This record gives sequence, C-alpha cells and structure tokens, in this order.
Amino acid sequence: MIKIQRISILLILAVMSMASNCNGPDEVAPFDKGSLLVNFSDNLISPSLSMLQLTMEQMEADFVEFQLNSTEANLNTLRNSWKDAYMTWQTLKPFDFGPIKDYGFKAATGTYPSDTVKIEANILAGSYTLASAGNIDAVGLHSLDFLLHRVDALSHFTGNANYMTYAGDVIAKLKSETTTVANAWSIYAPTFKESTGTETTSGFSQLVNEFNRDYELVKVAKLGIPIGNQSLGIQMPEYLEARNSGISLELLRQNVFALQQYYKGNSTSVGQSGVGFDDYLIHLERSMLDGTISDNFTAILAKVDSFSGTMEEEMNSNAQGLDELYNLMQGQVVSLKTDMTSAFGVLITYQDNDGD
Amino acid sequence: MLFGISRFLINGWVEQLYIEPTNYFTYLGFDWVQPLEGNLMYAPFVLMIIASISIMLGLFYRWGTVIFFICFTYVELLDKSNYLNHYYFVSLVSFLMIWVPANARFSFDAVIIPSIQRRTMRQWHSGIIKFQLAVVYIFAGIAKINSDWLFDAQPLKTWLQAHHQIPIVGEYLQQDWVAYLFSWSGCIYDLFIVFFLLTARFRPFAYFFVVFFHLVTWYLFPIGVFPWVMIFSTLIFFSNEFHEGILSRLSSVKSVQKKTPLPKSRKFVRTAILIYVVIQLLVPMRFLLYKGDLFWNEEGFRFSWRVMLMHKEGHATFYLVDKETGRESEIQNSDFLTPTQQDQMATQPDMILQYAQMLKEHYDGQVLEYGGYKFPIDDPEIRAEIYVSLNGRPSKLFVDKKHDLTKLPYNLAHRNWIEPLEEK
Repeated sequence: MIKIQRISILLILAVMSMASNCNGPDEVAPFDKGSLLVNFSDNLISPSLSMLQLTMEQMEADFVEFQLNSTEANLNTLRNSWKDAYMTWQTLKPFDFGPIKDYGFKAATGTYPSDTVKIEANILAGSYTLASAGNIDAVGLHSLDFLLHRVDALSHFTGNANYMTYAGDVIAKLKSETTTVANAWSIYAPTFKESTGTETTSGFSQLVNEFNRDYELVKVAKLGIPIGNQSLGIQMPEYLEARNSGISLELLRQNVFALQQYYKGNSTSVGQSGVGFDDYLIHLERSMLDGTISDNFTAILAKVDSFSGTMEEEMNSNAQGLDELYNLMQGQVVSLKTDMTSAFGVLITYQDNDGD
Repeated sequence: MLFGISRFLINGWVEQLYIEPTNYFTYLGFDWVQPLEGNLMYAPFVLMIIASISIMLGLFYRWGTVIFFICFTYVELLDKSNYLNHYYFVSLVSFLMIWVPANARFSFDAVIIPSIQRRTMRQWHSGIIKFQLAVVYIFAGIAKINSDWLFDAQPLKTWLQAHHQIPIVGEYLQQDWVAYLFSWSGCIYDLFIVFFLLTARFRPFAYFFVVFFHLVTWYLFPIGVFPWVMIFSTLIFFSNEFHEGILSRLSSVKSVQKKTPLPKSRKFVRTAILIYVVIQLLVPMRFLLYKGDLFWNEEGFRFSWRVMLMHKEGHATFYLVDKETGRESEIQNSDFLTPTQQDQMATQPDMILQYAQMLKEHYDGQVLEYGGYKFPIDDPEIRAEIYVSLNGRPSKLFVDKKHDLTKLPYNLAHRNWIEPLEEK
C-alpha cells in the first residue's frame, strides 16, 4: 500500500510537470530581486548620498564666505546652495531604512513645519543641544527656510551674532550627519544588496514600504494638509513646506520625480537606468499595472508643471487646480500601495508579526 | 507554548499590540473585554509563562490549564486585528486540556497525590484532541477547494515567486507549475493527512509528511510558531506504546503498573462532548449562510481554519463629514490605529464599521477650529473610499464613499454595502 501511495504521488508529479512542459512558451524568464537591490544601492542611493554630501559641503563653504563677508550677494549664493541641498534631499528621502533610519536622518534633515518660536528662543539663549529630540523642528533644511528667507534676513544675520552662529551650527550639523550616513551606507550596502527576502525586515520589503510611505507623505504633507484636506477644507498655509522661500511646488515636483525615476530604476543624478519596480511588474505579467503607474506619474508631473505660481499663490488663485493634483496623486496611491506591493508579495506593515 | 509566549515578551509585542494602541477592535459580543492599564498588561503574559511551566511539569496541572486558557483567550479577545487561526487553535486545545487529565502520569502531581496516578485514560481524552486536529486539517483542506487556489494557484503564486532568491530551488519558485504543485498537494495533504495518521500502517509515513510539510511552510512563510505547534500536536496520533517508549527512554520514572478501572462516563460528559463537536463542525460551515464571495466579504471567515488562503491588500481613506456645513476632512488613520490595525481594518468589513464608530465617537461633540473658523461637530457622518486587491487581481472598489458608515448596522447579517467582486 505504501508503495502504491508513493507511486501515485510520483505519477501526480509526473503528470503535472508534463502538463507544465507543454506550455513552454508561457514560461517567464527568471527575475532577480538581487539585481534590483544592487541597482538601487549602487546607482540610486549611493550617488544621491554623494550628491547630498557635495551640496552640503558647498552650502557650508558658502556659509563661511557669507560669515566673513555678509553681503546680500553672498546671502543669495548661500540661499542657492541651500536650495540645491534641499532639492537633492528630495531624491534621498524615499530611502528611510538602514543607516538612514538608524541615525534618524530623515527626521533630523527633513522635518517641517519648523517651530520658529523655538528657533528664536534658542538664538536668544545662545546655548542649545541641536541633536535633542525636542529640537527636531528647530533644525534641518527647513529651519534654514526661516533663517535664510524670512523678511529682513540679512539684517538679522548682521545684527545678531547668535543668529549667525545658530545658522552655522544647523549647517554644520547637517553636513556632518550627511557624511556619517554616507559612510555608514557604504558599510551597509553589501548587506542591503543581499537582503532579498520577504520578511518585513528585509532590504527589499523596507525599500517597497518606504517608497510607499514617502509617496503618501508627499501627497499628505506637501499638498493635502496645506490645501485643507484634513481641516474641513480650510486652507492651512502655515503648514506649507518652505513657505518663506516659496519653493514648495519645486520640492514637491522633485520628490515625485525622484519616486518616478526610482520606480523605473533610473538614477536622478547620474543618468543611469537599471532594474526597477517596473521590470519586476512586467516580469510578473502585470504590464497593465505598470502602464497605469507610469501614466499616473506622467500625469501628476504634467499637472505640477501646469502651475505658474508658487503653491501659496496657487492656493489663493487656483485652489481647484491643486485639488485636481491631489486627486491624481490619491489615485496613484492605490496602484502603488495596493496593486504593486501585493503583486510583489510584500506586506505593507512596519511591524513584525506571528503570521497567518 | 512557553516558547511562543516568551517570543511575545522578547519581541516587545506586548507593548506594540496591547499597550500602544489607543483603540481596540473587539469581537462582537465581547466588547467588555478590555486591556489592562499600562504595564499591568504584562501580567497575563507572566501568568501564562508560569502556567505553561506548570503544565509541562505536571505540577498543579489543572490550575495551570485553567489559568493558561483564561489568560490566552483574554489576550486574544482584546483585538481582532491580531486574530490568527493558530491562536484560536491554542485557545481551544488549552480549553480541552482543562478536562483531560494529562497529569495522570509522568507528572509531579502524580508524585504528590499518588491517587490520581493512572496508566489509562478514557478514549475521549485523546479522541477529542485528535478530533480537534482533524477539524483543523480537513476544514483547511476544504477551504482550499476554490477556483483561486486550484485553478489560479493564488495566493501561492504571489508568495512563492517572492522567494526566487533562494539558492537552487529559487528559480523554480518563479515557475507557474511549482505554484500549482504546491497548491494541489497542499490541498490534498490537508484533506487526507488525518486519515493516514489514524491508520497504524501509514502513520510513520504520514508523520514524515507532516514534518516535511510544516517545515517547508515554516521556511517559506511568516507563520511563526504554527508549524511547530502542528508538528508536536500531531504526535498524539501515535499509539500508547510509542509514547511510552519515548518516555521510558527519557526518564527513569518507574512505570506505573496499576490499571485503575475507570468509572463509566457520565451522561453529561457525553452530552458536553457532543455539543462541542457539533459547534466545531458548524462554525466553519457558517459561511454557507452568506451571499457573495467569502474571501471578498469575509463573512464567516474567522474561526474556520482558513489558513494562508488569501493575499489581500487594501487602501482605505476615511472622511469626516460635518453635516452642518457639508465640509469634509480626510482622516489620518495613523492618528488612531497602529500599522497592523490599519492593515487589517482596510480589508475587513466588520472592522471598517468599528473604526467608523470609533471616529464618530472621537469627533462627536468636538469643536474643530481651523484658521479662525469654528466647527461644532454634531453627529458627524463618516464615509470611506476603500480599494482592495485580492489574490493578485487588480484592485477594485471595496467600499463606496456614498455610504455613511455610522448608519450601517454592526452585526452578523449579510453586508450589502460591500461592492461586489465581479468574477474575471
């Protein structure tokens, strides 16, 4: 009887493999998540980190120059290098895992809105611990939007030594943390590239999860909250990112652009194109979904490009246009978070669990 | 079990699952089961550890089983977003163990109170646990007889391909035929394994399959302790001689020769067993009472041994609508729910309604103030737009924004407000 059992199982196996061999042309070429992770680490994350390092160094150099020679022209140079750094940051913020997460780099660099009262109090006191959790909304790139771009910024710098020191301390902190994280990434990279598993702590899971989280963050924080989507339709301009400098819309565009490029596996800085989420979807025979996601990204960027003013100006003159942009972005969440991640077999969760 | 509970403590899950959340999804009829204040929530877990040691040693066995059952079930009843079939299984088995004198031999109790020593136990003592295991396997097998599982090899196709990086076998996991092979053999295994375990002749062979099957699932899927629970529980199918053999090798305990004659089972015992058996058979079948797709609507889904059957991912956007002005706000789910709760809620209709009630209670009577405008909120509407993807299908509208969720009944009746899942 046992023999019959074994034979019948073998028979089933044989029949099934024969059946599957018949549809040979249907067989798909193997796909390797490892190559995707290698592409992300080597061509997307590391170059973005290097680029951020460069822009931070430039910003620090321009600050030193401005400190020595506090002219309007030098302030403008510093403002420009700040903007470069801020725009580059948009290409890095989707990667909040590994050392970027361990060092709390995303929060320390990109938290907004800033607490200007706290910043002023720190400046007045002249002594502060910028790395403390309580100061998280008094540091980072966004605090410089206030420090460099407020009305009469130049006179604040020239009239108050503490003010100059504070800005310098914020910049020095940003630069040194960027260096730390960039070095830590190069150590972590080999681990990341091999972390192709499906558990929530694997590199691939974290990449997909953080990609989605950042996309939702752009939608909600950069757009939804200021235009009043969480406040019964009452606009909340005080929640605009970089309101003083008026670059909110540019930052939003750069962030969405980065996500679009990463979806395709393209680098935002070195013009390299490689294995991305789109390739994985196509491998899984989900070309339709890939088409939808690609079209959505194109439509969102086109909509952003159709605005002529800053986001605050558009809020005043073209609120409906921003609502339309929001709806486009909302539609894409479903494609990315629900369809793409479930096709990958990745769980959207930030919590380990005991299974099914 | 000691291992399982320690896992909870070590991983910090107590904090994450039972202290951190501000809202809990209770079970219908069990709303009175509430978490303990702050760190007191560790108490049931500590008690469970003590109880499981007591059960293992057979020291104050019956107390141990009662305490374990109560604590474990209490913790499980707190929040259905943590529902797992194997937790339910543990609850049931620990309940059964209260009535089964597993301390009659090889236990400290038997040393302390020699009068309880017994070589034999009633047929039903091990029979009921075998029955429970049979229910788990056979219903899990029946649940697999559906077109997604058998004809599309979903969700296994999705889950297996994600493992393509495993050396040597990884490449095959991307092939369709492997997904079909796994699906069909999993189904056949679940349906028939119990019968082979019951037959002395096939038992060793079948047990080899049990170990193999559960080790494979343990390796491939994030299902925690479940495979181990099953591997060890199925040992009960082996004969007395087999267990005695192991035990005598393990211990120097002198084998008790006394065969106490057992009094006849009383009538109420037989009735109680019968009731338990009927409940266990009917509960997993209750889905037959509901219209519509079981996986999509999830009516009659829990407590039915539907293990690893679907891959469901959803995105839920909730809206607060102020009736006075008609203005609406989008709700940030993370303000109210933990990531696990958000994830579970988005695809499960009963939890969607519960969440809507939580939101209503939170906002009702509040005065919201934005940019100098005041909005006194009175009896607000809560609406939601939810998209769900099931077993690799493209996502589809699950809940339409047109429903005021606060006005929908939360009960066991069929929920006609769920958008239908049209077949491909």
